[in-house]
Amino acid sequence: MPDTPTSTSAKVLSARPPLWRDAVVLKWVTQLFLLFIVLTSLWFLTSQAGDNLEARDIPSDFNFIERPVDIQLSEGIDTHPDSGGRALWVGMVNTIRISIVGIIFATMLGIMVGLARLSNNWLINRLGTMWVETLRNIPLLVQIIFYFSVLTVLPRLTLESGPINGWFHISNKGISMPRVFLADGFYQWLVVVLIGAVVGYYVHRHRTRLHNETGAITSPILWAFAVITLFAIVGIFIHPIFSWVGSIFGALASLFDSLTVLVPQIVLSGVALVGATTWVLRFIRKHRSAGGHLSLVDDDWFRIIFTIAVSVILVFVFISWEGLSSWILNSGRDLFQVIESKFNVDGAARPFDAMRPEIIQKGKFPNYGPSGLTMSVSFAAVFFGVVFYTSAFIGENVRGGILAVPKGQIEAARAVGLRQSQALRHVILPQAFRVILPPTGNQYLNLTKNTSLAIAVGYSDIVQVGTTVFNQTGKTLPVVGIWMLFYLSCSLTISVIVNWFNVRMQLVER
Amino acid sequence: MSDLNTTGVEGTVTIKPAPETPKLPPREWLKENLFSNKFNTLLTLFSAAILLMISRGLLSFIFNPERQWGSTSTNLRLMMTQAYPEEQYIRVWVSVAVIFTLVGASMAIWNAGSRVTLRRLGSFLLSSGVVIDILTLLAPFSGQAKIIWLIIGSAVSGAGGVLLRVSDKDKDISSLTLVVATLAAAILSLWIVPFGHHSFVFERTPRSMAETGTVALTTKLPWTIMVVIGILAYFLGKIVMNRFPSKNLRPTIIGIWFLTPPTLLYLVLRDPDFDMGHVLNTDIPIFLIFAIAGGALLSWFTRPTTGEIGRVCAALVLLAGFGMFFTPMRMIIRILMLLLATFALAAPTFAGDSKTRRRYVLAWLGVSGIITWLVTAVNTPSTIEVPGDFFLGGISLTLLVAIFTIVISFPIGILLALARTSKMPIFRILSTWFIEFVRGIPLITILIFFSIMVPLFLPKGMELSEVSAIVIGYSLFSAAYLAENVRGGLQSVTRGQHEAAEAVGMTTSQKTFFIVLPQALRVSIPPLVGHCIGVFKETSLLAIIGLFDILYIARNVIPNQTEFLGSTRENLLFVSLIYFFFAYQMSKASQRLERRVGLGER
Repeated sequence: MPDTPTSTSAKVLSARPPLWRDAVVLKWVTQLFLLFIVLTSLWFLTSQAGDNLEARDIPSDFNFIERPVDIQLSEGIDTHPDSGGRALWVGMVNTIRISIVGIIFATMLGIMVGLARLSNNWLINRLGTMWVETLRNIPLLVQIIFYFSVLTVLPRLTLESGPINGWFHISNKGISMPRVFLADGFYQWLVVVLIGAVVGYYVHRHRTRLHNETGAITSPILWAFAVITLFAIVGIFIHPIFSWVGSIFGALASLFDSLTVLVPQIVLSGVALVGATTWVLRFIRKHRSAGGHLSLVDDDWFRIIFTIAVSVILVFVFISWEGLSSWILNSGRDLFQVIESKFNVDGAARPFDAMRPEIIQKGKFPNYGPSGLTMSVSFAAVFFGVVFYTSAFIGENVRGGILAVPKGQIEAARAVGLRQSQALRHVILPQAFRVILPPTGNQYLNLTKNTSLAIAVGYSDIVQVGTTVFNQTGKTLPVVGIWMLFYLSCSLTISVIVNWFNVRMQLVER
Repeated sequence: MSDLNTTGVEGTVTIKPAPETPKLPPREWLKENLFSNKFNTLLTLFSAAILLMISRGLLSFIFNPERQWGSTSTNLRLMMTQAYPEEQYIRVWVSVAVIFTLVGASMAIWNAGSRVTLRRLGSFLLSSGVVIDILTLLAPFSGQAKIIWLIIGSAVSGAGGVLLRVSDKDKDISSLTLVVATLAAAILSLWIVPFGHHSFVFERTPRSMAETGTVALTTKLPWTIMVVIGILAYFLGKIVMNRFPSKNLRPTIIGIWFLTPPTLLYLVLRDPDFDMGHVLNTDIPIFLIFAIAGGALLSWFTRPTTGEIGRVCAALVLLAGFGMFFTPMRMIIRILMLLLATFALAAPTFAGDSKTRRRYVLAWLGVSGIITWLVTAVNTPSTIEVPGDFFLGGISLTLLVAIFTIVISFPIGILLALARTSKMPIFRILSTWFIEFVRGIPLITILIFFSIMVPLFLPKGMELSEVSAIVIGYSLFSAAYLAENVRGGLQSVTRGQHEAAEAVGMTTSQKTFFIVLPQALRVSIPPLVGHCIGVFKETSLLAIIGLFDILYIARNVIPNQTEFLGSTRENLLFVSLIYFFFAYQMSKASQRLERRVGLGER
């Protein structure tokens, strides 16, 4: 910047700069220019792709979702899907299934690894370190393929080896174990347990009050658990008396059936409008100074306009798209009808049941029958891969989180007379959890995304199914779009859940 | 760091090293660390049982006579460069020599390496000897082999014990010596062990055949030369450092490091078939026009008195650059125009006296020259013919993709991070959406998308090889993650730094490039290194798309050779060993770097 003579500086400050030096104008011109560039490039690329696809005679539409396809899936809720959409749906369910199971087991194993890394026991400590260093530094894909190749050379499954007399059976077809499942009486039993939970809550409150008043050790949590367990055990014998609960859901179903599309339309639009209005009002109130002066920078204006525009668009969509409202009504009715039918069982049904694994002749080769809980080889490879790999990372998070609690906190807890368990529950764990949770949530996201490596070992997750679908139909772009939407919504769901916990865990500061 | 004693001596603070923990005699150490109470004893016994089972299983797997470890030692060349023609192999050796030279010189110039006390070395040898003995006892060896291995293990631990007993407390040797000794041992193994070799035979269909002993014959001399070159380069670097100490030494080496990958790839390994007449008639004139006109333009823009006319002109150049990108013409003109626009926009930041201006113009000449040459080399067909799409494979492909991805994603990631922390809403929203979108989807979908779809998105007449398309997709993916790491660093720069920069009259771009970014990048070194390790590890996904990376070769190529049917597990163990070696070394190096730049201590 060249020096400005001091005599004119006051004048320069007070005068409005010319248009091409005005910071606000320049800022917005640059931004709009970039937006223009991005939109032009996108338009250019898509039109180019459209031309090229047309030249190769591959229309990019979504009609493969309803068309029949010739796909055989290795496993899932439906191994011979009748349409492309159904096949992708099976893939999604498979991905979600392995992600949820993986997250649960990775968390348990990760906590164990983290504690092992903190142990005073030299051998355990070293084992934990070896586990973490080895698994972290080998690519997950190599691990998955290795487990797969180890499992496929296991002894062959033959009919002679059955009937299985043990609980577990392992062979080159996978790992089979007893299946515990929810039997017909489960929903009635669930009602008993819910009542037990309510009673347990009041018992917990009562015992806590007693503790606060007299100072005696009343162990409220233990009591609450005992009550719920009691109800659960008793419920196994008396649950048929609750079969009438189903009629409540039946009434709800008929209520949903009688409503017109206008009701959800009005409700949804109202929610959108009221939400946007409250947000804008609160935003303005927050930016008003104590004296009532409102100062909004252009960024704030942008947010307000954006919110209003989005809410108006939403209202427009809700009202013009009748299918959405009728879908909500129909699915609500269906849901309640399904629940109602769950209660329609005869009185002798058990809430749970279990079945042992079996070997049957399925087609040419013997295979595990449906009665056992069977982990196919590809499922097992992906499962062990993601669980072991993620457990190393979660273990490091746990270790870091516990080390991050200052020593003074533990000493202070002792000084005010908390017992070891109390100090752990009320002082150490809440603070450690605050550090552990955000990176662990990230690991959950990574685990979900990493299950996509299943394509390498032929587990029918959404990527594998999608690849088969677009190889058959040539509709690459739509399938990739569905993948991205699916994974984005998975990521969003997980981060919403983790954030919810995170907010609850945060320090409340003044 | 509670064990650092700080004592004030007349205003200065000295930090005493932490007192060494007293060594316990073995008996008490065992009691303290393994059997301190009932629960601990139980844990110890339990984990010892697990450890024994695992090592027993691993050993009986590795030393099972059915294992075909020959599959890896015979296919070393395949895993390194896939089907690179053997008569052209001198090109590979030249590339390796260049890299070894650079590594040696850089180690000298950065004073790499630390001192290792002989005591530590002794205790390391002692414990590894004991481990060898224990493993030998567990392994399913025959009696004779067991005795030999036991003797070896005892010899190693005996040497360690002697070293421990004899050496003084303070005696130490350089860790570089140890590295060189290890390398020498590895090379010695080449002279002794007859590693085999698979060569490609072009009859009707290209297939590979095993020839025993050839790899050791043809590579033992080159590898020895490579290591000697590396050592020589180290001493040369030392001499240069001592004789001609210069401030520009390190920047020069860094510049050479950045230029090396494209040069090696396009000039040495790919061997472009230049059509000299064409180059003289088109490429060189285009470059000259841009160099002279752009140089004059930039020299005018960087003049402090040019003021807003310069800015308006720069904006016009930028517009022209983007406009030209979408009009059909030679690729080199489009790229140079965009580059010129970028330089013109940055010009006011570097305005100053005539010396600064000359340097800026020289930078333009250098960068545009390099880019012209690179684009020409990329567009020239290669003389190397291999079966398959790409002339590299195996580890060389893995390293190539990893290096190019990291280098390309760096500037994009930094720009994304700056945009995400910027106060301008459209920049921020676009960048946030891009980052969150990319981070929400798995890498494999991006790779599949780019490998299949990129040819469809290109205008007619433009072509891109599959590897380039994948590097672009991978770079975009990596940039999103990198941006988040850099953003963490940007947020750690205190407000006082911003305000101080504004107080001395810096413009926003000067503040960003000279004050904020250097500090932010320094803070984000550990996550960035972690990110680089991740990028390296995830290159294994190339195998899913069917590129001949090392994993694909190990899983799909070698087990199909008639000699080594069903050797997947052996190959995969070998591949994981390679990945583990590189990743572990990188993470250790990053920890050393962290300590060196003193992160977390200020």
